[in-house]
Amino acid sequence: MMDADEEDFVFIGTPIEREEELTSRKKKAVAEAAGQLRSLPSWKQEVRDEEGRRRFHGAFTGGFSAGYYNTVGTKEGWTPQTFTSSRKNRAEMKQQTIFNFLDEDEKEEMQGHSLGASLQFDTFGFTAAELARKQAEKEQQRRPSAIPGPVPDEMVLPAANSVGIKLLLKMGWRHGHSIRDSRRNSLYDARREGRKALLALCADDAKPSVAESVTDHESVAEQLDDDICASGNTPVYVLNPKQDMHGLGYDPFKHAPEFRERKRLRVSGNKESVNRRHTPMKDDLSASKSGKMAPGFGIGALEELDVEDEDIYASGSGYDFEETYVQEVEEPTRMIPDNKQKQGKNEQTVLAGFKVASNFDHEMERFDPPSIPNDFEPHHKFPAPLENEYKLADLPPPEVPPVEDNNMRILIEGFATLVARCGKLFEDLSKEKNKTNPLFCFLTGGNGHDYYARKLWEEQQKRKDERKQQLNLKSKPNVQKMTAEVRGKILGERPLERNSKDSGSSVSTVDVHLQFNLSDTFTKPASLNDIPESAKPFRDDPAKQERFERFLKEKYHGGLRTIDSGGASGMSESDRARERLDFEAATEKMEKAGWNKETNLSSKQQVFDISAMTGPQFTYSGMEQAKVPPVEEMMAKKMYPKREEFQWRPSSILCKRFDMIDPFMGKAPPPPRVKSRMETLIFTTDSVKTTRAEQSVTANKDALPVSQSEPQEKNKETNTREIDGEMQNANVERPVDLYKAIFSDDSEDEGEGSSRNQVEDTGKESEVANTTLNRLIAGDFLESLGKELGLEVPPEPIYSTSKATTSASLKERSSAGDVKTLPVGGTPSVPVSQNGALKVQEAVSGKSSHLDITKERRSDGNELGHGNPQSGDGKAIGTGNPENNSGKGKREKMVADNDRIRTGSTRHRSWSSSSSDDGRHKRHSRRRQNQRSSVSSEDEKNRRHSKRRWGDTEDERFSTHSKRQHSRNSASVSDSSEDLRNDDRSRSKEERGSSWARGSSGRNRKRSKHRTDRTDSPSRSYHGTKKERAESKGEKRKSRDRGRHSGSIKSDSNRKYR
Amino acid sequence: MSGSELPRKEANVLKGHEGAVLAARFNNDGNYCLSCGKDRTIRLWNPHRGIHIKTYKSHGREVRDVHVTSDNSKLCSCGGDRQVFYWDVSTGRVIRKFRGHDSEVNAVKFNEYSSVVISAGYDRSVRAWDCRSHSTEPIQIIDTFSDSVMSVCLTKTEILAGSVDGTVRTFDIRIGREISDDLGQPVNCISLSNDGNCVLASCLDSTLRLLDRSTGELLQEYKGHTCKSYKMDSCLTNTDAHVTSGSEDGFIFFWDLVDASVVSTFRAHASVVTSFGRHKKLKQRVSSVVYLKWELPGTN
Repeated sequence: MMDADEEDFVFIGTPIEREEELTSRKKKAVAEAAGQLRSLPSWKQEVRDEEGRRRFHGAFTGGFSAGYYNTVGTKEGWTPQTFTSSRKNRAEMKQQTIFNFLDEDEKEEMQGHSLGASLQFDTFGFTAAELARKQAEKEQQRRPSAIPGPVPDEMVLPAANSVGIKLLLKMGWRHGHSIRDSRRNSLYDARREGRKALLALCADDAKPSVAESVTDHESVAEQLDDDICASGNTPVYVLNPKQDMHGLGYDPFKHAPEFRERKRLRVSGNKESVNRRHTPMKDDLSASKSGKMAPGFGIGALEELDVEDEDIYASGSGYDFEETYVQEVEEPTRMIPDNKQKQGKNEQTVLAGFKVASNFDHEMERFDPPSIPNDFEPHHKFPAPLENEYKLADLPPPEVPPVEDNNMRILIEGFATLVARCGKLFEDLSKEKNKTNPLFCFLTGGNGHDYYARKLWEEQQKRKDERKQQLNLKSKPNVQKMTAEVRGKILGERPLERNSKDSGSSVSTVDVHLQFNLSDTFTKPASLNDIPESAKPFRDDPAKQERFERFLKEKYHGGLRTIDSGGASGMSESDRARERLDFEAATEKMEKAGWNKETNLSSKQQVFDISAMTGPQFTYSGMEQAKVPPVEEMMAKKMYPKREEFQWRPSSILCKRFDMIDPFMGKAPPPPRVKSRMETLIFTTDSVKTTRAEQSVTANKDALPVSQSEPQEKNKETNTREIDGEMQNANVERPVDLYKAIFSDDSEDEGEGSSRNQVEDTGKESEVANTTLNRLIAGDFLESLGKELGLEVPPEPIYSTSKATTSASLKERSSAGDVKTLPVGGTPSVPVSQNGALKVQEAVSGKSSHLDITKERRSDGNELGHGNPQSGDGKAIGTGNPENNSGKGKREKMVADNDRIRTGSTRHRSWSSSSSDDGRHKRHSRRRQNQRSSVSSEDEKNRRHSKRRWGDTEDERFSTHSKRQHSRNSASVSDSSEDLRNDDRSRSKEERGSSWARGSSGRNRKRSKHRTDRTDSPSRSYHGTKKERAESKGEKRKSRDRGRHSGSIKSDSNRKYR
Repeated sequence: MSGSELPRKEANVLKGHEGAVLAARFNNDGNYCLSCGKDRTIRLWNPHRGIHIKTYKSHGREVRDVHVTSDNSKLCSCGGDRQVFYWDVSTGRVIRKFRGHDSEVNAVKFNEYSSVVISAGYDRSVRAWDCRSHSTEPIQIIDTFSDSVMSVCLTKTEILAGSVDGTVRTFDIRIGREISDDLGQPVNCISLSNDGNCVLASCLDSTLRLLDRSTGELLQEYKGHTCKSYKMDSCLTNTDAHVTSGSEDGFIFFWDLVDASVVSTFRAHASVVTSFGRHKKLKQRVSSVVYLKWELPGTN
């Protein structure tokens, strides 16, 4: 029933709570309140009624009681503010307004109101203007006009007159009239009265009329002034149409307003006479003269205006201006109609009050041109005589047919040559000398003069060219180095010290002849002192030859000349002349030959040649060559040591550790180096590497360069040295490639490989073999790396490092998703590191599912664990483990292969050498192997094929590698590094997470751990590692050969060991 | 000191290294000495009695340099494995390994307070490592060199380093300046004079050069020995009267400091003399300088 009833009812509102609930709540509230009251501070207490509800306190706008008895929110009341102002943070001047203290609603209320004068009291119309402006703005907002932006204030004028104006209007004021009129007049009147009184007092009555007149005049002027200035107070705008072509606002009469009127009148076209026209102007001037006083100087109330008070600048009294009419630049349009006017104006351009000046003050002073001395020739003489000569002969004389007389012709030609060579002086001289000689009449303008002139000119031209050539030749050594000797040589100066033989002949001569060869000695180098035997043109006539030689000496030595050279031998004048000409010709020929020879040589050599020809007098040349190295050394010494200074910033902690104050304290730290890790790793560029390698070659015959700085053990075999070189390269490159291999993403390779999985190419088998070899060698490197990372230290850090690599290759692992699980019999108890590679083998062969192999392997592992002392090679394993011969066919085979490869390289293996030595050897062997790879590796491959059924399990990935490998081998520089990278990559692949795989890569570490487990003797374990290394290499190779499965296998084993 | 007081005689032969010895150093009181070499070990000896005391193994490659703190309690060493090791002498344990050099580390030194290890490497950098904190990051990397840094020296306020690029660079921590003295020849080894005013740089043109540190002036050159491709030590004697250096032909040379004449030479080794230490204090020896002699593997 109850249920039904309840269903029928419709509940509206909240049901009344039951009694017990109420009471319980009440009790609770009371208890709470009691507790609260006790615990809480007063301003936090809530007032509640007896029913536990918050008490409504019932104030006007009301609410619950809160805070400090409904007063403030804090204990302190209004939070006090402290005034703080520091040097860095200045306190602002805060301007408090009422708005700071108002609530929002109050502000809202305040918003509409602003103070302003009502229209009723708007004396100056500001409010009206304001209203008008606002109105205009509103209108503009409603309908946007063509001109955007706010309306300019000037355009909106108050619509209404201000009250003040209205009042003024009512009082009789008009627009355009001054307000001050009455006031000013009264004041002036008072002053005038005062003055009158003063005059009446102190002055006799002799000139009352004058004073009267003056005052009258003044009053008139005043009146006039008033009239004029009536509109001064309120500007009355008169529209003035712009009629000129000046720019807007430009006033040509700005500083000369007197002319404005005149202009205006002229323009207006008034046809009054000029005199009449400028009368008002004159009036104006006079009026202003009387009425104006100097600004800034007042006059006392009882003073009369006198001369001092006048504005001297305004009045014309001080200065009498004489009018000089200023012709204005008139507008062209005006010009045409004004033409007639101008005509008239020219006579009467003088302004009234001005007159034309009789003389000009300013006159251009003219100076007379400098007087030229009578003996001046308008031609510049250059100090060089030869140049001068050429200049003179610039104009070529006309071509003239040669003189008929053969003798005459020869004479003329020879003489011309001579003159050309020796200078004008010679001509003059001989002219003078041979005045009487009919032979030389051509000189003085007789027969053949024209021909002579022509010839002379030709000769001069020739010589000029020659000279130019010489200069050109000499200019180069000039530039290079200027020593006293060289300079002397270039200038043709004689060196101070002479050959004794030479000096004997030339210096002994006492008699002084005219030295007209001087110019020659300065132009020609003293290069022909010693005439070679072949160059004796007059061999048949010894006497003549002798003369010729003397001639040459004299010619080139210059200076003193014997008198008998002229012709002591009794030769006739003409004969002598002819001989001389012959000599000239001969020397010229010789010279030319010499020059031709020399010009073939380089300029520097030439200098040396010349000096060599001149013999011991230029000891310089020989010396110089000997001196060159010392000079260089000296230079080097001077250059080094060279000191430079830079700023260097030590880190603050370094300073702290050195117990010093940081010199850069407080300065901003240098920007952090943004080098990525890869960048720091790749620090040696290829070029550096190569140069380094070169250095190593050149540095010493039997030693390493200092960069390596290790005394190398002296290997007996020569090839090891080469290896060393290679090894160095590898050393340098190592870090790069290692880290590249770890950090760079090699999953692409993987993908590539998998994509090519289907491609079967047996032709690449040899390449595959190559790569496996490379890997093998890389194994060594990895091994050494393992040591480097801490062979003997506890394996934790190793673990972490390998982790890093594995994490890098995680992607790969995931990519190798096609994991083939194999029923492998391997148990976790199998020594991990040893059998890692074996497992690979097993796994591969697991395809054919041989359980016996695993067994064999296991036994193998044990065997290996014991190790064979001499098992540097794989062969030793075979012999050293007689128990296991049965099951180890493959292994042995493998090892044997390996061994063969290794032994293929003749090398000296030093036992004590570090692992890097090992690696070096292997690398070398690999290199060799590469060379004959096509043969041997092919063999191996085939053999392997026959033994194991790998045919279809060839790894394409490695084939791609090997392809790359081949190309790399061709580019031999980056060869080893690439190999290494390959190796590393393979390593990282092998390392994928699985413990054994790690063991195979960091074999050493693992092994060492293993060793310690088995408590082998250190020496043994050491050898063991050797052996294992070899073995694992072999295994590795296998695994690589079957690399396609390696991923799957590894993951397999992973599973196994987890 | 006259030339006669210079050591000529072999005092002791310390045998034990299985490879070439690359560096030999006395400890601070001169009672012990350390050697390191290509066999990846550091060995502690009593040179006076010829006893091998301890072997420190941890390096993965050859050990190129070793240095002892002033209180003889710690070692630092470096080598081909690109790491700087910080050892405890008595226990022989590695306290810290400083990794960061990108290539082989050629030289290593403690500062005066043994709080910082300065190392110089083939990677053209000089790095400072803090021994006090647990950080293994370098606190300072100086990489202004343009070639391998071969040798490093420290004063109270400065770091000096010689590089194959031909420079001896002084890094003054106090004023934050780097002074580079370019010698034009690869610098193999640098050492300071005892008064600290000069630096002796061994160059690869078989010349030792003595530089005035304040002006960078070349004071003297010492020639006669062979030094063309190996890192070899050179130094001044304790009185600064003589300059000494090894030679690649196995001789040890002494020059007079001032007139650069060869005062004394003697054949110490069959092969290259790579290193020798200087006995710091005048002690029970007749001569103030004792040179350790190390046979190289070829003759050992």
